[in-house]
Amino acid sequence: MQKVILDKRVKLTLKAIGLVLILLGLLIMVPKAQAAFPEKPIKVVVYTGPGGLIDISARKFAGVAAKYVDVNFVVENKPGAGGIVALKKVIQSPADGYNLYACTKSNIAKFVQVGGSQYLDALNWTAMLMADPECVITNGTQDIYQWSDVVSNALGAPGQQNWVGPAAGGLDHVTALKIWDAYGIDAKWIPFKSGGKALAALLGEQGIAYVGNPRDALGNADLHIAAVSSQERLPAFPDVPTFKELGMIGLENEYMWRGFALKKGTPPEVLAWYDNLFKQVTADPDWISFWSKGGIDVKYVAEKAFTEQVYKDAEIFEYYLRKSNIIQGEPDGALANLATGKSFLILSLVLVFAWLSASYGIFKSSYNALTGRFMIIGFFLLVSILFLVQSMNFPTSSDVGPAAVPRLWIFALIPLNLLLLFRTFRNIEAIAESGPRVDIVLNFIGFLVVYLLLMQVFGYFLSTFGFVIVGLYYLGYRKWKNILIISSSWILFSYVIFYKTLYVPLPLGSLFERLF
Amino acid sequence: MAELFGNLIDGLSFVTGVIPILTITLGVIMGIVAGATPGLSPSMGVALLVPFTYAMSPTLALILLVAIYIAANYGGSITAVTINAPGTPSSVVTAFDGYPLTKKGKPGLALGVSLVSSTVGGIIGTLILIFFSGPLAKFALKFHPAEYFALAIFGLTTVASLGGKNWNKAFIAAMFGLLLNTVGIDPISGVSRFTFGFSFLYDGFALIPALIGLFALSEIFKQLEGGDFSSQAVAPGKQEWPTTSTYWKLKNTILRSSFMGTIIGIFPGAGATIAAFISYDVAKRMSKTPEEFGHGSLEGVAAAEGANSSSVGGALIPLLTLGIPGSASTAVLIGALMIHDLTPGPQLFISNPDIIYGLLASLLIANIILLVLGFFGARLWIKVTTIPKTVLFPLIFAVSIIGSFAVRNSFFDVAACLVFGVFGWLLRRYNYPVAPIILGMVLGNIAETNFIRAIMMGGWTVFFTRPMSLGMLIVAAASFSVPLIQARKRK
Repeated sequence: MQKVILDKRVKLTLKAIGLVLILLGLLIMVPKAQAAFPEKPIKVVVYTGPGGLIDISARKFAGVAAKYVDVNFVVENKPGAGGIVALKKVIQSPADGYNLYACTKSNIAKFVQVGGSQYLDALNWTAMLMADPECVITNGTQDIYQWSDVVSNALGAPGQQNWVGPAAGGLDHVTALKIWDAYGIDAKWIPFKSGGKALAALLGEQGIAYVGNPRDALGNADLHIAAVSSQERLPAFPDVPTFKELGMIGLENEYMWRGFALKKGTPPEVLAWYDNLFKQVTADPDWISFWSKGGIDVKYVAEKAFTEQVYKDAEIFEYYLRKSNIIQGEPDGALANLATGKSFLILSLVLVFAWLSASYGIFKSSYNALTGRFMIIGFFLLVSILFLVQSMNFPTSSDVGPAAVPRLWIFALIPLNLLLLFRTFRNIEAIAESGPRVDIVLNFIGFLVVYLLLMQVFGYFLSTFGFVIVGLYYLGYRKWKNILIISSSWILFSYVIFYKTLYVPLPLGSLFERLF
Repeated sequence: MAELFGNLIDGLSFVTGVIPILTITLGVIMGIVAGATPGLSPSMGVALLVPFTYAMSPTLALILLVAIYIAANYGGSITAVTINAPGTPSSVVTAFDGYPLTKKGKPGLALGVSLVSSTVGGIIGTLILIFFSGPLAKFALKFHPAEYFALAIFGLTTVASLGGKNWNKAFIAAMFGLLLNTVGIDPISGVSRFTFGFSFLYDGFALIPALIGLFALSEIFKQLEGGDFSSQAVAPGKQEWPTTSTYWKLKNTILRSSFMGTIIGIFPGAGATIAAFISYDVAKRMSKTPEEFGHGSLEGVAAAEGANSSSVGGALIPLLTLGIPGSASTAVLIGALMIHDLTPGPQLFISNPDIIYGLLASLLIANIILLVLGFFGARLWIKVTTIPKTVLFPLIFAVSIIGSFAVRNSFFDVAACLVFGVFGWLLRRYNYPVAPIILGMVLGNIAETNFIRAIMMGGWTVFFTRPMSLGMLIVAAASFSVPLIQARKRK
């Protein structure tokens, strides 16, 4: 009797699930009605974490823009790979104008380095809203802090003067290279993790000059702005001479800019809507006064001129990045060839095969108790060799190149593993290699993999709900009421805390993204 | 001096109002939660909440953010102790002894000691910040890349004593961590290394997913493999909490680690994690019972927590006196200052003393509130250890997945976390310690960039011609070889 009721229940459940699936399918197929732009919140995609200047710009923009249009701007931070992660987010979304990419000139350097023109071409360069000139900052407590002294010191000792600043290949580095070219200076660029750390090094007298934003010199009286690369003196820094005044032509247009881009193919009416909005924001007194204090020039450069600027910048970046070996040329030499393309793939396969067959050999031999230990050692050796071969393809430089330190670790890792190998075979001690229930571990790893795959389709919430239930059940927990309470409260917790409060964009899954 | 006290009293009178106290309390609660959630580090806790502070007054915004920062540093130890999932990189060291104590059924001891060491460390760090920030900042500026490199090497040598008789495997793990750290864009030359053309590798491996995988996931896999998941870690009922005399016995360890934590915290980039590792190492060497370390030593917990919490005060020294961030979290604080139209740096002491001294006073208050909330909170956290493992394990998996995703909103990190989990499980089966991998990943960047910078600035000999760098390298060599020699002698 009970079995019959159960069967009925199962059938009913199946029917209900089937119905829901059909409904979902219908919903996906129904085309969305066209409505006037914007009909939902607009995401401003920022390529750094919260707190940086571009993040502040995006948030300030969101605040000011809200005065003029009746739409919510939501800032979404997508840090990573110098802007590539954020870019991919934008270009993988539809070209409907709901993903506004907050970009800076530094992105162009990264795009040129990583993707050539394909990344530049993927965007509609909609608006440049701000430009601030680059400047050279020196340490006022050192003897050499006036620009003329910096130049004569550098010319007197070629290759000796140290300049400090953020990462190599970025805007500030390229600006320094341009300045050096103009003056015929041969100096060294010592890169730091951030502009702030480079300024600390300047204050610690580890360098003569720093390249960055005039705003960087505010707040510390020891810092001295030696020269600024604008057409005219900046109203916020009336005492700072321009390069032009100092007698150098060709350095009066080195600007850091910030602006917005949309995915290429955004409809013209959406672009017109943005054009109007950018005009209003640029004229807003609150917006102007906020930026002018730091010497930042607020001006709206529209699509056509902006796009020209972007491609011009890209050309200059490419020239200097090639010159300083950051964009790599063709591989050079037999070993370097081994590190690229097909030959590297073949080498990897051969080594993996060797590793596996050696392990199998040991498993079949009298040393078979050592198989696991051998496999781990073999794995470390395998990785070391593959990384070593890869490092053959890194560019070399006059001082220590990018290959030096990885090789240092590899040359420590290989002998350490060989030593361990020797000790392992000499002194066979029994280790309790495995517990009784490896099967549970393997099953759980399987669940996790399936769970992550399902998350792509059904989204975080649904698949997590399922995973928690399966996990509890598999481990032998059978109180169904509690199982439901536990999994639902976890979903609720992650929704309220992570999704709503902390703005972690938990994936909704491809199924639901099409629905909503 | 009199002026300093006058300013401080002004600061205190500002932060003792109802609204500031409520703000600090709110910050402390949010910080504890952020710190205790694997995947939300102090800097992320601060960063994620920066947007909320845009609408507040600058002083309130800052005290909210530093309250979060302080509490998050402590919060990391809660999950480290209860489920072996360090919520922050620096609480890895807390897990060394905190989790064994839980396994022994004494999580109360570990939680109590970690709370008290944290708050005492936090207060000492703040006092040093208030009274000695000027000269210490000047000292920090003189720190050459060669010295940073020597400091990183010194940090690495703690592996020798961490590894014990498995030193060979411990060093392999550390070197592997260092090597993993080189994946991604080279910070010095800007070229991409070991990325094999995948854009998700440009930023390398994030620390948090590695941390969650190597610690939390591998621990669950290990326990699942052992088949002992049908009970809970600690039976519900009466818990053992530390008594006043327990704390008193730890006073030297707490004081020593607090001073070390503050000093190491000053150096931009070095931060809480190195401080915790070095302080733990020193505590073990000075201890009368070094053999207990790694098996539930209260001194170990105190050394780790005292150091990582006091490093907050240290990290704020370069921020306030020079406008230079000493850690990821303080970098976010700079952004928060800027959005409020304030320029961080020495000028701020002159232009806005109310903000600076309000901030300093709120640091003291926040630590006291943390002590009170933590005291009651610990009675709550401890309940985690009484959850049956059949319920706890699936939930830890769920936390790990969401935590590693939240770091950079990336699926790659989630997959990496899982791989690190399986890898860590395999390594632990063959007695490889996993903490050195984390240490390698933390120190790799500092070691490498400063190694190259030092050579660019002064050639290969610079490490031995600068007295301070030479001295630190000698200490490092001694700290490396002494445990090995002792191990040999014991044989």
